[in-house]
Amino acid sequence: MNRQRSLARSGNIENLLKSGTKYLSSLEETIIQNIDACIDLAELLTTSLGPNGMNKMIINRLSKLIITNDSSTILKELEVVHPAATMILEAAQMQEKEIGDGTNFVIVFAGEILKQAQSLILSGIHPVEIIDGYNKAGKEALKYMDELVVKTVEDVRNEEDVASAISASIASKQFGYEDFLSSLVAKACIAICPNNEKNFIVDNIRVVKIIGGSIYDSKIIKGFVTNRTPKGSIRKIENAKVVCYTGGVEASNTETGSNVLIESAKELKNYTKGEENLMEKKIKKLAEMGINVVVSGHNISEIAAHFLEKYGILALKLPSKFEMLRVCRTVRALPLSTFVIPSEKEIGTCGSVRVELIGGTKITIFEQSKKNKSKLATIIVRAATKNVADDIERAIDDGVNSYRALCKDGRLLAGGGAFEIEMSRHIQKFGEKSPGMDQYAIKKFAEGLEVVPRNLALNAGMRATELISNLYSSHEEGKKNSGVDVVNEGICDMVKKNVFDLYQTRYWSMRLALNVAITILRVDQIIMSKRAQSGIAPPPQVSRDVD
Amino acid sequence: MSLRQLNKNSDIAQFGQALYINLSAAKGLQAVLRSNLGPKGTIKMLVSGSGDIKITKDGKVLLDEMHITNPTAGMIASTASTQDRISGDGTTSTILIIGELLKQAERYLLEGVHPRIIVEAFKLCRTKAVDFLDSFKIEKEITKEFLIEVAQTSLRTKLKQEVADLLSEIVVNAVLTVKREPNKKTGVIPIDLHMIEMMLMQHKLDTETKFIDGIVLDHGPRHPKMPKRVENAYILTCNVSLEYEKTEINSKFFYSTGEEREKQVKAERSFVNARVQKIIDLKNEVCKDGKHGFVVVNQKGIDPESLELLQKAGIMGMRRAKKRNMERLTLACGGIPLNSLEDMTIEVLGEAGLVYEHILGEEKFCFIEKPKKPKACTILIKGPNKYTITQLKDAVRDGLRAVKNVFDDKCVIPGAGCFELALHRHLLEFKKSVKGKMKLGVQAFADAMLVIPKVLVENAGFDHQDVLINVLEEFEKGNKVGINLESGEAMDPQLMGVWDNYKVKRQQLNSCSIIASQLLLVDEVISAGKSEKKDKMKH
Repeated sequence: MNRQRSLARSGNIENLLKSGTKYLSSLEETIIQNIDACIDLAELLTTSLGPNGMNKMIINRLSKLIITNDSSTILKELEVVHPAATMILEAAQMQEKEIGDGTNFVIVFAGEILKQAQSLILSGIHPVEIIDGYNKAGKEALKYMDELVVKTVEDVRNEEDVASAISASIASKQFGYEDFLSSLVAKACIAICPNNEKNFIVDNIRVVKIIGGSIYDSKIIKGFVTNRTPKGSIRKIENAKVVCYTGGVEASNTETGSNVLIESAKELKNYTKGEENLMEKKIKKLAEMGINVVVSGHNISEIAAHFLEKYGILALKLPSKFEMLRVCRTVRALPLSTFVIPSEKEIGTCGSVRVELIGGTKITIFEQSKKNKSKLATIIVRAATKNVADDIERAIDDGVNSYRALCKDGRLLAGGGAFEIEMSRHIQKFGEKSPGMDQYAIKKFAEGLEVVPRNLALNAGMRATELISNLYSSHEEGKKNSGVDVVNEGICDMVKKNVFDLYQTRYWSMRLALNVAITILRVDQIIMSKRAQSGIAPPPQVSRDVD
Repeated sequence: MSLRQLNKNSDIAQFGQALYINLSAAKGLQAVLRSNLGPKGTIKMLVSGSGDIKITKDGKVLLDEMHITNPTAGMIASTASTQDRISGDGTTSTILIIGELLKQAERYLLEGVHPRIIVEAFKLCRTKAVDFLDSFKIEKEITKEFLIEVAQTSLRTKLKQEVADLLSEIVVNAVLTVKREPNKKTGVIPIDLHMIEMMLMQHKLDTETKFIDGIVLDHGPRHPKMPKRVENAYILTCNVSLEYEKTEINSKFFYSTGEEREKQVKAERSFVNARVQKIIDLKNEVCKDGKHGFVVVNQKGIDPESLELLQKAGIMGMRRAKKRNMERLTLACGGIPLNSLEDMTIEVLGEAGLVYEHILGEEKFCFIEKPKKPKACTILIKGPNKYTITQLKDAVRDGLRAVKNVFDDKCVIPGAGCFELALHRHLLEFKKSVKGKMKLGVQAFADAMLVIPKVLVENAGFDHQDVLINVLEEFEKGNKVGINLESGEAMDPQLMGVWDNYKVKRQQLNSCSIIASQLLLVDEVISAGKSEKKDKMKH
């Protein structure tokens, strides 16, 4: 009987599909609910926008505690499952990949324009018209952005200019320390900036965290730092000549298994002796060439260690392939795969190689002297606790990424919400000029931009609505750079205050946010398969409630 | 029932009920897909069991991802996938037409017409329709602009217009690159779309998708110090192991002093080194003038020591290339793929103007560009996230097929609903010559054809009755028109450059009427036997 019914009731679409599949097609079920999810996600992050943003405490599924206001970190730990929210999340991740900063803006702005779209949909405007309007507004905004450039960093090697350009990005993570950190980051970046600054590689700025001391004890090493210590007793070498082996420093071996064949007692006696002589000969040769540091990716055999010590060579084992490559980059050596005598070309040089004790942690430092430019710089971060150190690291990362963006495009926009207000004014005017139903959407897009100054103000404890109207009137008077002053609670000229946003950051975050918002508005049907039953426990619900 | 006696677990639905099951399944499927059709169709979001998102407008993709379990719906869906296999497009309209044919037939069936009569009429109509299609087709000179118009027609139904227009040019360029001129020896060589590599890159926006004259490999040179950019490169493609390989038999070395062992180590390597040396010798010979670079692409491995040797000789070496890329590489750059390194001459080498590595986060890509006479190429698909990339990939595939079809068919059909409208009228004319109850079937078939323009108009947000009546009036005046979906008015598809593939329509007419007839003739649905899955679920 049961089967009979299952044959007969096939009119409903869900019944055509595998059992458990959900088919959503009404406006209410799709667009409105998708937007709701996105708004929820955005609201979660609005409180961490800007220098006065609040921190979030996240306990992830490995019960690791993270305290941060860096939105990309928060999102990574959230484990979002809602499909529409995941899409916004992916847009933010893309921003992280492209620029490395401005993720918060992507989510908050996308959330805001979706919220505005929702109110339009509820008042009866068709999503297609909203999409048209947003597209037009987006195009106009990207075009108008060029006119809002307030300053251009011409020379990315000028420390002062660079520091002021990246300080806003760092201030939003580590408010109060931004002057110190931004000059630290600027120094480090400039030190390693290649001749063609477009080839700047973010990965060449390393961060080593050592607990203890205060932030102000943080410093830059123009070279490479590792927490491994040398094998022997030699701890310091000036004007080092370095050779790097990716293989082990030991007697070579055949790939095919091999056995020692000993036929007489004499041979037995001479065998070890022979081995030692062989090793000594090699190492002596190294010493004669002036080599005084050997870095090995694999084992350093006991015999080798003995002779290295004897000839005054510092021996360091670095099992990580990446660390090995970084050492090579620092000292400009060519890595050798087997333990052979290097040619002059393959030997690297380094100002000093030394072991230092910082706050109870022993580290080995490869530092280049002044005349030899290093390709790598390391920032040693000191902080009281691990959580603080982690957060500083994230701020530095954002700073370094901003520098990279700066290298590609030195244009700057006024920060602190000034750019957004000016843009919003322009788009509103643009909207008034355009005929048709798009007009509503274009205006809403402009309104959406207000989200930045509003939340900057809210997070700083100011009265947002009043402030925004003040901002508008100030802009109307021609003060195009007025933005939110979070320190003195009011309005001030952001350019004078040295608060800038990178053109690149804003450009990409606006494009990505708009792109994802439009995609979400376009979806009118959702087909969801039954969730796969996996062995993984559902993510803990803690993160949502902490807010 | 007698069946019950044969098998206790069986179920049966008869006559009207069986028909009802089939009709409702077809209608249900049609309802899901109808909002997809045309450039103004909306997109669907598919969420898989593991939470992955897919966003699509493509009927084929949708059907694949939907996991249809209903037998009738499954049958219709499989017709659509055949449609896709043969012509690469028209899946959505196939589903719509089948649904509509059944829906129209239902009206007459309810009035007591026997299904057999309707089916006979459908059969007549099919041959008439195919003949009409042949008279309707337009043979045009194949120019690049024309091909782009064809690609646009196909792609605009799958992507937003901005991206679709960009891709149209890309796919046309790609097809023109891999198309080979017929020569006397081999005759006409069919276009092999496999020679177009699609490389996916999660980077920037979908509008950055590019046509690459050459090949893109998804791995880079393996040695950190190898050259990252080589100009005027000679390219050696080979399938030779450049790493030490253990003997098959169990073997061991014996030695009694350290020196002996050193010698053995050297001897062991010399075998592989000799091979590498051969490549280096060739390089030294052909690159004497210093103007050329040298690149080795190996399908097998290259071990660290060999890499080091190559690096010292200034050669860019890439290992473990995909087999399909080896074929494409030689087509793109020329040269002969080698399986042994004996007697190499300059003839076995390919040439490329520029080879460089591109690093994207942790992924490496290697671009081999500007070859001399490329017969293979790459479409580099970019997008900010996975679902955009898959959407583009599916669309590019269909776009390529659409362009290829033009070469295969040597003709096209005016699009924008023009053909369906004309066919509707043609069949109504034909109806007059048909005798008896068959007239009803012909009427049903003719009406069903209108579903395509109707849904196109509906999706564009216009009133379909108004628009259809207007357009049919234009036909009365003798104009062959389609529908302009921007304004909802009649337009000439030939002037606007809206073209459908001949192959797509032909396949559609054939398969739709056959499958609809089959479903109409079903008078019993029997489900027998145990469903193993269900039993397992219970436990």
